[in-house]
Amino acid sequence: MSDSPSLYIDGDTLLHRLDPRAKLALAAALFVGAYAFLDPVVVAVPLTLALLAVVLTGALANLLRLWFILVALFVVGLVVWPAFTPPAGPVVVDLPFIEITRRQLTASLARSLRIVSFIVTGVAFVSTTSNEEIVRGLRGLGVPYAFCFAVGTALRLFPTFLGAAGTVRQAQEARGLDLSASNPIERVRKFVPLLIPVFMTAFRNVQTQAMALEARGFDTQSDRTFYNEASFDAVDWAATGLSLVAIVGVAALALSGLG
Amino acid sequence: MREILTMWRDTRMIMLVAVVAAVYAAVLLPFKVFTILPGLTSVRPANVFPVIFGIMFGPAAAWGAAIGNLIGDVFGGTFGPGSIGGFLGNFFFGYVGYKMWGNLGPLSSGVEPDFRSKPFRQLVEYAIVAVAASTACAAIIAWVVDALGLVPFSVLAPIIVTNNTIAAVILGPPLLYLTYPRIKDMGLLYTDLLRDEDVTVSTPSRSQLAAFALLLTPLVWIGVGISLFGPSSTPQIAVGALLMVVFLAGAALGGERLSSIVGA
Repeated sequence: MSDSPSLYIDGDTLLHRLDPRAKLALAAALFVGAYAFLDPVVVAVPLTLALLAVVLTGALANLLRLWFILVALFVVGLVVWPAFTPPAGPVVVDLPFIEITRRQLTASLARSLRIVSFIVTGVAFVSTTSNEEIVRGLRGLGVPYAFCFAVGTALRLFPTFLGAAGTVRQAQEARGLDLSASNPIERVRKFVPLLIPVFMTAFRNVQTQAMALEARGFDTQSDRTFYNEASFDAVDWAATGLSLVAIVGVAALALSGLG
Repeated sequence: MREILTMWRDTRMIMLVAVVAAVYAAVLLPFKVFTILPGLTSVRPANVFPVIFGIMFGPAAAWGAAIGNLIGDVFGGTFGPGSIGGFLGNFFFGYVGYKMWGNLGPLSSGVEPDFRSKPFRQLVEYAIVAVAASTACAAIIAWVVDALGLVPFSVLAPIIVTNNTIAAVILGPPLLYLTYPRIKDMGLLYTDLLRDEDVTVSTPSRSQLAAFALLLTPLVWIGVGISLFGPSSTPQIAVGALLMVVFLAGAALGGERLSSIVGA
């Protein structure tokens, strides 16, 4: 993991410039595309588009950071799903303890590609959308201001607490705390000395932070105005329209029996 | 259930949501490397937080756990449609605790969850609350993820139940022992922050019925989901939807017993 926990990569590509709501619409179209079909060739289409978005926006490094998760989910899907798929068609894998038919293999492959497609699309979204844009997008979608404020504050506080967690962990290890136990229960138990300081530091300031907010006129009851309102430009409308057309098209193709 | 909406009127509850979310996410992320089942789950000591925060901070912990898990997905690289299940599941992971504490009839300790008096009875009560919260979280997440055709319900649900329960049961009692009195002194218990009319107190029998509904519904859900129906099948999804409605009805039925225990 790099120093920054964020996957956001600053850039000036078309995807970076899009309104977060338009990016969400595009992501939704890719999600629906990957969800609607169970033919691995068809599921590979949204996956390829998501990979293309990742490469074109310079987010490939983020994907490489997550390679272990992607490979693990793909393999787990391939191993698990044949057991839950009725056999049909010729046997393609014939081992002493297991037989896998063509239908079981293709269904498993499609489901594994689906989960990878979801993650790659998610990486493309978070790599091109800053924390502030995510909150602005939520607000633009009509999510109440208090909720958006809580999300934004959590996103700002989270790296601070992450740093504190790391510092406390190093300090306790320097005092002899051994976190390398192989027993998961023993390992979990040893985290108590790490959790208390992080936890108490975090909550000590809640009262004063709330008073500071109220002193600055924070009010959840009245309507707010914003200095920097988000504009939804023609290119955002175009991306959203394209996404809607894609979603309707995918639904029609899936209902007609394709894939 | 109205407190989950009316709490958004109070600035300190909103700050608590943000802090709970940030702490949960901050402790989730460094431990993603301690993998149990590659790509699916890891050692998550942070899973204790929704349960103990739920008991102390009430609805703020429910929202905070949901948002914190979402932040963990965004920064951990697993953001996607499955995050909807994570949001819902973690919301109820934090929600169940304050609805159940004190409402379990003969299984309740009848005291505040500070592990100072009646420690054995508190331990029993806490373990039941932790199992109920962990199971509810697991059933909801596995239901959504199964419906999306990502991982079968019968594979994922037992993993999440085990993972949530181990962390919550082992770490919860010492953490509550060490922190509950301090949080109470700071005036940050949800009973101190919410207005009286927002902390609903229902009749004991109704609250008990609700608490047992919150405990038994997810257990039945997971038992039925594992043993009777195939993954991603219509019956699996339909039974999940039906039991979700029953679970919500149980949640709506009960008041918050903790509020009367602490004398709010």
